[in-house]
Amino acid sequence: MLEVQNLTIRTKAETLVDDLSLDLVKGRLTCLIGPSGCGKSSVVKWLAGVLAPELQVRGHLQLDGEIVDPPHGAIAYQPQQDTLFPWLTISENACLGLEISGMTRRAARARVRDLFPTFGLAGHEDSFPDQLSGGMRQRAAFLRTIVQDACVLLLDEPFSALDAVTRLQMQDWLIDRLAESPRSVLMVTHDLYEATQMADRVLVMAGGPGRITADIPITTPRAERSETTLAEIRSTLKSMLLKETS
Amino acid sequence: MMYFRYILPALVVMSVFLGGWEGYVALTNASPLVLPAPSDVVNGLSVERSEIGRHALATLTVASVGFSLSVIFAFAVSIILHFSGWLRRGLLPLLVASQTVPIVALAPLMVLWFGFGLLPKVLLVILVTFFPMVVSLMSGYASLPRPFRDQLVSMGATRWTVYRRATLPSARGHFFSGLRISATYAIVATIFAEYAGARQGLGIYILSAKNNFRADLVLSAVLVSACLTLALLAVIQVIERATGRRYRRVAHA
Repeated sequence: MLEVQNLTIRTKAETLVDDLSLDLVKGRLTCLIGPSGCGKSSVVKWLAGVLAPELQVRGHLQLDGEIVDPPHGAIAYQPQQDTLFPWLTISENACLGLEISGMTRRAARARVRDLFPTFGLAGHEDSFPDQLSGGMRQRAAFLRTIVQDACVLLLDEPFSALDAVTRLQMQDWLIDRLAESPRSVLMVTHDLYEATQMADRVLVMAGGPGRITADIPITTPRAERSETTLAEIRSTLKSMLLKETS
Repeated sequence: MMYFRYILPALVVMSVFLGGWEGYVALTNASPLVLPAPSDVVNGLSVERSEIGRHALATLTVASVGFSLSVIFAFAVSIILHFSGWLRRGLLPLLVASQTVPIVALAPLMVLWFGFGLLPKVLLVILVTFFPMVVSLMSGYASLPRPFRDQLVSMGATRWTVYRRATLPSARGHFFSGLRISATYAIVATIFAEYAGARQGLGIYILSAKNNFRADLVLSAVLVSACLTLALLAVIQVIERATGRRYRRVAHA
């Protein structure tokens, strides 16, 4: 289990995130939604250890009861862009995290190779990112994130660059992959339909300074989620977001 | 297709230029001491080919050694500047200032300090050619998109790993641009250094031809120096193409 305790992020001029606490439970997908600039990405970047160094940070991160500092090997991060290195093949890209963590190239390749069919990338091991479609690139980025075997996944608007149809396909696909190997997932999104369709729990953030204003569990099983069953919760979230942006 | 698109226009322009020059000399009866015709230059080159070849080889040796060391030096300096903000702030003004020193003033001083051997000429080539490479590399390092760096850092990569895995590959195109600019200076800088004092080389040959009022031989040596520069650029082009198939994707991504 991951716990963020009393996180405050400040610039010299203003407080971006104020005394924020949250927890992530294994096997649960938590979506963080909120208006632009409310500090969602700052929270995720701090957890990933990539927050701009000039920002002042106070707060603690606990993993299974132990205080740790980000970046941590148990936490994998996927930014908005797919960040596949254009000069590396898909296989080489997928191996990056494993090699950086100390695995030999040969062992990393062997481990990644077995996952290509599951990720719908069979036959594209030696392709370069610019030879793949947007959805395939995103799956390759997920492969690189998931193969690291981190118990916490941080996904910063992972579908924002995809077209509507691919986005819907990728949402279902990601849920299936996460069901195969349960992890704690924190996903930032602007899209409350995406959040309610995918999440087990939605955290609503407000800005100025960033803080969590609501913690809404979604108990409806995913198979039964539809416009009708989620209408009330979507309406609640929508009015919360509109209130924050007005 | 390649012939018509790239080579033919260059050949046409060159033919028009040389034809105009030859015609002007013939029509005005210009003295060969002042303006030799292109045919005189080619004739001089043919007669003096072994002498010019010997001097050209000496120039090429100095330029190659100096340019190779310059590449190594530029890489070393760029890495130091990339990893140390303090040194970057301290060294960059000095490096910029080093480029403002007139080569005309520096070349004789180098000979005075280090003699007529290889060292002063190599130092001068390094001084003239390393700066464009350093600037190109620094600019290439800065071109790495932040999310790429963040991705590696989140995986636990050290600064050196980020440099090796992402910063350096993404700077490849910038590096070769700087390399090409520097290559055009390498032969010229060597000739300048030889001009200030040397036992052999195109610089000395040009000086000697000028003192003997042999403008045709001066231009023959200039023609050879231009060919050497073009050869150097061709070698760089071949290296870039041979080593960088996958890196060309950076530009298309």
